[in-house]
Amino acid sequence: MSSTLKSLFVSLLIIAGFTACGPDALYDLSGDTYQLRDSDSTQVNFPADFRGDLSLVTFIYTNCPDVCPVITANMTNIQRELDDTTGVNFIEISFDPERDTPSVLKEYRNLYGLNKQFTMLTGDTTTVHPLLDKLDIVAVKTTIDSLGYDSTNYAMRHSNTLYLMDKEGYIRAKYPAHRVTPEHVKDDINYLRSE
Amino acid sequence: MKSTQHLLLILLSGCFLFLGCGSESNSSNESDSKQEVVLGKIAIDNAWARPGSQQGKSAAYLRISNGTASTDTLLSFSSDAAENVELHESIEHDDGTTSMQPAGQQVIPSGEKLRLQPGGLHLMLINLKRDIAVGDSLQISLEFARVGTITAIAPVQIQQ
Repeated sequence: MSSTLKSLFVSLLIIAGFTACGPDALYDLSGDTYQLRDSDSTQVNFPADFRGDLSLVTFIYTNCPDVCPVITANMTNIQRELDDTTGVNFIEISFDPERDTPSVLKEYRNLYGLNKQFTMLTGDTTTVHPLLDKLDIVAVKTTIDSLGYDSTNYAMRHSNTLYLMDKEGYIRAKYPAHRVTPEHVKDDINYLRSE
Repeated sequence: MKSTQHLLLILLSGCFLFLGCGSESNSSNESDSKQEVVLGKIAIDNAWARPGSQQGKSAAYLRISNGTASTDTLLSFSSDAAENVELHESIEHDDGTTSMQPAGQQVIPSGEKLRLQPGGLHLMLINLKRDIAVGDSLQISLEFARVGTITAIAPVQIQQ
């Protein structure tokens, strides 16, 4: 086989591999469905129900006193930064589904005045944990003695991650959720819109 | 001659008054005699707290400016809205995760500021005595080693 043919073969393999993995995807959720519940207890098939739109996906727990409210504030700042929010979903998934029931998530969304573009999701641990694992989201229960934490009253060591998911369910970008600048995310959203 | 006598009398009266005041101050309270004079003041501003539910937790933030001539140390905290108040710190680990832990004693040098802000040092309000909602306000008292207790009012608000 000549070197030209070898090069052509290798190029074809690369193209085939790229096509199979999707466009520069960090994670591929395009074929997955996780049955979760939103803050109205309505079943949501994640990410299938968001297909066709871009989605910002982050992870919080509502008992978080300090950092998670920063993440939520940053999500609303990104929303404000966008000139046009059409076709963009803002999704917060609880990594503490045992305590974050739909009604608790509803209180949280009301507290922070999140509008209808925001979706708060929770679910059974058997569904949520595999999703977290797939997306490399760390959430570990921790205790602080002085706070009298116990099995139902605990803090969490957790990831601070914000993902940008494209219309097909591919995770295309990852940011530090509590400190990424809205301008940065806006640029990436506009880039994906232009694809 | 008469005016000289008057002047002498006024000076003597002044001395008696001065001595009298001094001895009263020294004898009235032994501990007061050890209290040092603090020049300048410690100011607290930008105070605010997150909403929370009764028996739950909240976090409060503020900025401390040490405008005194000396270093001071933050000793303890309290609030009219919580059973207990602790200084905590959110820490970012090498793997990108964040956790929270009690923070040690904070020493604030003269002329320096200590910022309690989201994602870093913050006051944990533990076992809230009542619901605190946006629009409410609560008192936060900070006890310093040198200047004593300073109380600030923290409005309850949502972070923007």
